[in-house]
Amino acid sequence: MNERTTGHRSRTPRAVGQPSEAATRGAGHRRWRRVWFAPAAVLLLAVGLGYALSPPAPPGKAEQRPPVAAPALTGTTLAGDRFDIADARGQVVLVNVFASWCGPCRAELPLLVEADRRWSPEGLRVVGLNLRDGTEAVRALLDETGAGKLTVLPDRDGTRAIEWGVRGVPETFLVDRDGRIVAHQPGVVTQQWLADRVVPLLGAT
Amino acid sequence: MNGRRRLVTLTAAVLLALSVAGLARSVAPGPPSDPTQAVATELRCPACQGESVADSSSPIAVSMRQVITDQLAEGRSPAEIRRWFVQRYGDEVLAQPPLRGTALLLWVVPAVVLLGVGAAALRTLRPRHRPVQRRPSTTDAAPPGGRSARRAWWWAAGGLVALVSTVAVAAGQLARPVADAPAADPAVVAVQLAHDLEGQQRYAAAAEMYREALRDRPDDAIRLRLAFALLRAGDAAAAERTAREVLDHVPDSPDGLLVAGLAQRLTRPEEAPATLRRFLSVAPGHPAGPEVSRLLGS
Repeated sequence: MNERTTGHRSRTPRAVGQPSEAATRGAGHRRWRRVWFAPAAVLLLAVGLGYALSPPAPPGKAEQRPPVAAPALTGTTLAGDRFDIADARGQVVLVNVFASWCGPCRAELPLLVEADRRWSPEGLRVVGLNLRDGTEAVRALLDETGAGKLTVLPDRDGTRAIEWGVRGVPETFLVDRDGRIVAHQPGVVTQQWLADRVVPLLGAT
Repeated sequence: MNGRRRLVTLTAAVLLALSVAGLARSVAPGPPSDPTQAVATELRCPACQGESVADSSSPIAVSMRQVITDQLAEGRSPAEIRRWFVQRYGDEVLAQPPLRGTALLLWVVPAVVLLGVGAAALRTLRPRHRPVQRRPSTTDAAPPGGRSARRAWWWAAGGLVALVSTVAVAAGQLARPVADAPAADPAVVAVQLAHDLEGQQRYAAAAEMYREALRDRPDDAIRLRLAFALLRAGDAAAAERTAREVLDHVPDSPDGLLVAGLAQRLTRPEEAPATLRRFLSVAPGHPAGPEVSRLLGS
């Protein structure tokens, strides 16, 4: 477009004293030199503003959230007994959300059975919250993994799990003797995780 | 001068009309009529990547929709329900989380840049007082250096509007919004679960899920999958029974004949060859054909 202008102009012989194209462009350059800092300043201002308005670093991961009161958890277990987490006040409760359609849950169950066996005399209660599952399917899973004696609370429509803020399966919550969630593990728990978190709570009677 | 002004006005009107059209094309479809869906579209599924609770078929999202339905039935307002979810899942659960920090920058920077560019354009394009004492022979009122700069502004603005309208028009064709995403269907979820269970070779559990799906939707395709799962789970009698139900509706169903024949090999071996031969004649090109021929031959 600049070239077109130049071509147009060059058709008429340039008279002395008329402002030449080069001079015009020179003026443009000069003007740009005068104003270049304006967009730069605008950009800098915007970035600075954004930085100033951004909140301090968000408080860490779910693991570090402050203890909160555990939501209600009541219902009839797979074995037909009544369960209410409020009745377990005074005990440490490990709530594991699982389902028969979830592969990692299957791998995790024996660990929970072992934790139940080992620490229940010291006041640990392990509860499986069975998310959106069929009765037969979960019975089969429990039999296969030797978890037949585990307290399992079916959550047919998944609303109990949502109440607990579950994002996926497996997910595990540790509730202390005062009924507060003190640890939370999205995903599979390990032997180490259990030992590190459950044992101190058991000792604190 | 008058003609030119008219041209400019006309161009501006056309551009305005185009931008309005582009805007109209690019706005999202209105909120769904189903109140549960309406709340669910405003929530982000925590188990998925970039999907709303309304669109996702993950078990967590299905459960969340159930919670929304329950709470709406209890008379809670959508705002209360959103707050309930934020208490449990944090701000990230909202499809449009409150603007803070860096997200705010996304809006502030373009706005500030636009304002700055607009001010600069206005400064160049604003008609200036014609310097009477200079070059009275010049036909145009443009000050030196102003003309090409003004033209550049006009071209740039025209180009920008053209670009935006092109994107607005093209975007409508590139990604059409999914018209009325199918509501979460418990039968579909159950079938999917059953399919996953089969992948883990847990056929008895899969059959149970298929049965659950059939309760919601009596469908021959699901019945056939149930029959296959039963067969693999070792329950040949039930597999045959299920296959028979399908064959009652569709006497020549190849898969029905196949499962029935394979089940009969375990329950009534004398009837199996006839059924399997019928399968071969009905579906000569079936992937299981060679294997069945081998079974019949042996």
